[in-house]
Amino acid sequence: MNNKFTFGIIFIGALIGLVMVFAPLQTTHLGNAQLITAEKPKGGDFTLTAVDGEHSLSDYKGKLVLLYFGYTFCPDICPTNLGNLSVAYRNLSAEQKDKLQILFVSVDPERDTPQRLKQYADYFEASIVGLTGTPQTLMEIARRYGVVYARVDDPNNGTNYAVDHSAFTYVVDQNGLLQQQLPHATTPEQFIKIINQYLR
Amino acid sequence: MKKTLSTLTLGLICSLTSLHAWAAQADHIKVENPFAREVPPTAPASASFMTLTNDSAQEIKLVQAYSDVAKTIELHTHTNDDGVMRMRKIDAITIPANTTVELKPGGLHIMLIGPFNPIKVGQTVEVNLEFVDGSRKMVTMPVKSFMAMQPMQGGHKCGNGKCGSGMGH
Repeated sequence: MNNKFTFGIIFIGALIGLVMVFAPLQTTHLGNAQLITAEKPKGGDFTLTAVDGEHSLSDYKGKLVLLYFGYTFCPDICPTNLGNLSVAYRNLSAEQKDKLQILFVSVDPERDTPQRLKQYADYFEASIVGLTGTPQTLMEIARRYGVVYARVDDPNNGTNYAVDHSAFTYVVDQNGLLQQQLPHATTPEQFIKIINQYLR
Repeated sequence: MKKTLSTLTLGLICSLTSLHAWAAQADHIKVENPFAREVPPTAPASASFMTLTNDSAQEIKLVQAYSDVAKTIELHTHTNDDGVMRMRKIDAITIPANTTVELKPGGLHIMLIGPFNPIKVGQTVEVNLEFVDGSRKMVTMPVKSFMAMQPMQGGHKCGNGKCGSGMGH
């Protein structure tokens, strides 16, 4: 009886712990792109590392920034999204390309070195900059942008673990303000439409 | 006695018909638009997608797939949980009676984990599908790029946020 009671307490404790670890932050439920209102993610400036050194979001003031959080071991979701972005990018005029920057931020700093991120980003031929940082820095940025990510350990996979992650593309305007988040599987046509809205 | 006999007969008929239904489930599955994905150089896996149509009156389960192109082949699904994409290994892909199930980017797929050689556009990939009765179907498919230029769909509307994945079909 006593054992059972102790076990129960431990179980509840563990459950609370799990919930605290995995409770996703508030994300908007999106059928379509929506404007982000006051209580939504606030975004803001950040500084992360690329192959050629540190990059801040504020370095891109004056450009439209499309920001995507993912990881290079991501087999389907990230490349689908970056592939669509890449198709959109290749349909832009040279002038539009100059006024746009796509950033790919890793949520898997353990495996994604700046070098690896560069290789991955270059594959998409859309001048994408791959960025990473310390786990603490990334967590803090993710919180401000409402990005949720969690490592999924599969004993069968060894180091080939997956990472659950928010698959939104964040639209940051020329003043560095987070304006919109676009859902996974946004088509190249939709990206082009959004880009045209901001680069009028 | 008569009752027993009729029960037995009925049982026999039932088992025969179910046996018949079990005869080569692979023959009841039509495969369309199969393709594998070219992946970035750092990616540890590729995936294979296709449309599976079951023309029989029984549910058919795809339980395994085999291919020489990669170390491990698994069946996977994605769920979109308020924008958080989660990928999980599953034991089977169920194709209900007279139904079409689509394996597509962001959804169900056959995962080709640890490709022995880079999987590139221009190659063909063979994937052997195994159904619950043990019957198999060999599928030969082209490799497509994530950046395949799909025709711009004039006037195509995406309803309820449900849009194509950007792959030309």
